[in-house]
Amino acid sequence: MNTLIQNILVFSALAFALVFLVRKFIWSPKKKPAKPCGGDDGCGCH
Amino acid sequence: MSKQINVALIGNPNTGKTSVFNALTGLNQKVGNYPGITVEKKEGICKLPRGVKAHIIDLPGTYSLNASSLDENVVIELLLNKTDKDYPDVAVVVSDVENLKRNLLLFTQIKDLQIPTILVINMSDRMEYKGISLDIPYLEQQLKTKIALISTRKNKGINKLKELIASHKELSVEACLDASIIDTTYFNNLRKAFPHQLLYKLWLVITQDVNFGKTDRKTYDAVEDFKTKSKTDLKRLQQKETIKRYQFINETLKKGQTIDLKSAKDLRIKLDRILTHKVWGYLIFGVILLTIFQAIYDWSSIPMDFIDNSFASLSEWTKDTLPEGAFTNLLAEGIISGLGGVVIFIPQIAFLFLFISILEESGYMSRVVFLMDRIMRRFGLSGKSVVPLISGTACAIPAIMATRNIESWKERLITILVTPFTTCAARLPVYLIIIALVIPEGRVFGLSYQALTLMLLYLIGFGAAVGSAWILNKVLKIKSKSFFVVEMPNYKLPLLKNVALTVLEKTKAFVFGAGKIILAISIVLWFLASYGPGDSFNNAERIVTEQYASDNLTEEELNQKIESHKLEHSFIGIAGHAIEPVIRPLGYDWKIGIAIVSSFAAREVFVGTLATIYSVGSDEEETIKNRMAGEVNPVLGGPLFNFASGISLLLFYAFAMQCMSTLAIVKRETNSWKWPMYQLLIMSGFAYIVALIAYQVLK
Repeated sequence: MNTLIQNILVFSALAFALVFLVRKFIWSPKKKPAKPCGGDDGCGCH
Repeated sequence: MSKQINVALIGNPNTGKTSVFNALTGLNQKVGNYPGITVEKKEGICKLPRGVKAHIIDLPGTYSLNASSLDENVVIELLLNKTDKDYPDVAVVVSDVENLKRNLLLFTQIKDLQIPTILVINMSDRMEYKGISLDIPYLEQQLKTKIALISTRKNKGINKLKELIASHKELSVEACLDASIIDTTYFNNLRKAFPHQLLYKLWLVITQDVNFGKTDRKTYDAVEDFKTKSKTDLKRLQQKETIKRYQFINETLKKGQTIDLKSAKDLRIKLDRILTHKVWGYLIFGVILLTIFQAIYDWSSIPMDFIDNSFASLSEWTKDTLPEGAFTNLLAEGIISGLGGVVIFIPQIAFLFLFISILEESGYMSRVVFLMDRIMRRFGLSGKSVVPLISGTACAIPAIMATRNIESWKERLITILVTPFTTCAARLPVYLIIIALVIPEGRVFGLSYQALTLMLLYLIGFGAAVGSAWILNKVLKIKSKSFFVVEMPNYKLPLLKNVALTVLEKTKAFVFGAGKIILAISIVLWFLASYGPGDSFNNAERIVTEQYASDNLTEEELNQKIESHKLEHSFIGIAGHAIEPVIRPLGYDWKIGIAIVSSFAAREVFVGTLATIYSVGSDEEETIKNRMAGEVNPVLGGPLFNFASGISLLLFYAFAMQCMSTLAIVKRETNSWKWPMYQLLIMSGFAYIVALIAYQVLK
């Protein structure tokens, strides 16, 4: 039982680490750009 | 319930804007980026009288609202976008009492945007020294604002400033100048075409090449009654605007400010004469550098030894206390050892930034920039390239972003390409551990060999940057013109609070930025070193026991043989052996090879990787340095980290392009993968050749 739990924890840590590294260096979901000032948005600059 | 207001801190560079920000927010601050761009964004929270809470943004320093760089664009975009969540309820324009005339140009522009604006006149403690006196009520009346006369150095006037911010609703939003005086006919047309818009905002949208979303100059061309002027006409009108503003400022200051030159006592000229002297200037700079590197070594050895021993004990304690198993091993050998490889360098990194911050705060760094411009010119770089090269000692990423204020594309490109040669903080851990292993501890003229080696490595990095700039200047066929203007701020005693906050911020950035990557890589490496394919790994115990059956080994010796066999046949061992033929001529074994490959993500991973690999299977409570010192060269038999392989490694790290984040920034700044790929191939190829020659000559 102890071995099983320890192995689950190891593989979970590995999965977290791999996901973090892939998102950091290879692929990360694109963030939405900030809303630009334009059109009828009350910016007062057009 | 307390209400929160947005406060924008705006001002010319060197007005003490960051000191005001620190005085208002204390430790309640964080550093991030503006959305979509990599311009640094500092924000913090300040509690004001009557339960008001202020969200304060320290905007990039700008001389005016006529933007010429990305940093300045940020200021204009925020001030013109009322829908931005950070749009200020009140703008606080920070000025310096000695440069009030120049600082007021920006103030009048912001005031004309009809944003409630407070004028902060900082460095009031220098007024007596400089013979300056101000008629504050008169200035407030003329500039239609409230003024806070403060001194962040003496901590004076901050409470008044807080009071003024809390009462921002009482501030006048009346403009200083009527924008239509720039060109009456043109502005009348503008007013007719856009009757509901503020004239000065319209003018900025038309004249500034800034991202306003759908609102660009084409929008105005589309309006029938109104046609925009040519670019030349607009430039001429901008010049006219500046002249009109200075006429207004001169008129205001004529009565509002008096300067008695007779009572002014100034050491600045005398100091400048020595510190920027063509012989003394360089000598003094050299002595300062030597002192810094010596101090980094002398002062940090005790805390470093303490951290190293603490992590070794923690790892041992974890193994002894937690139930035996894979996860306990991951914690003790992977995570704790890997993190130990980061935390151990905190003292040295903190000391480095302490000195850099003191040099910047005192005003000496601008003299260094001026001094170095003489050298830079000979190598086809601009004086402005010195700033990125010096910032590169912290990190190449902000340094490359700092090239945005270099107007000439050729000089900017060359600076971007050579900046990664400068010794960044990430190289420091690698240098420190290798130097500690291979350079003896003796001294010459009171300076240790180790400190001198470290300084030499910094000079090699700087020399490589300047040398490659000279080659690129000859090779790149791009025509461009350039000029160099640097502002020399006054000398001042560094503010302890500012220095402390800078050290804290930079050290935190190193520990948390690098720490997360190192933690993740340590976990992956530990897994790869603790698991392997096939019989050789799975039946390691049986194979080794049979192999050494006749040798009468003790249990401890046999266990070591088993662990060593397992590591060699693990996933990482197989990968390491595959690359060994390429790195063996450099004096490295497969374990160093793995550390080099993993540090192509980020250099600082090197020490953590070795710490993880060497601790897998080790039962001894040992420090990282001792583990590395105990490694034996599998071919020659002596210590693996000897003088030849150590120098070879130091030179490899001095020249190789090992930072994925830097490559990504170069791609973004040059808008092409061509340049980062050239950087990666040329720098790393050069590093390999130099390391190879060094090892073959010294072995």
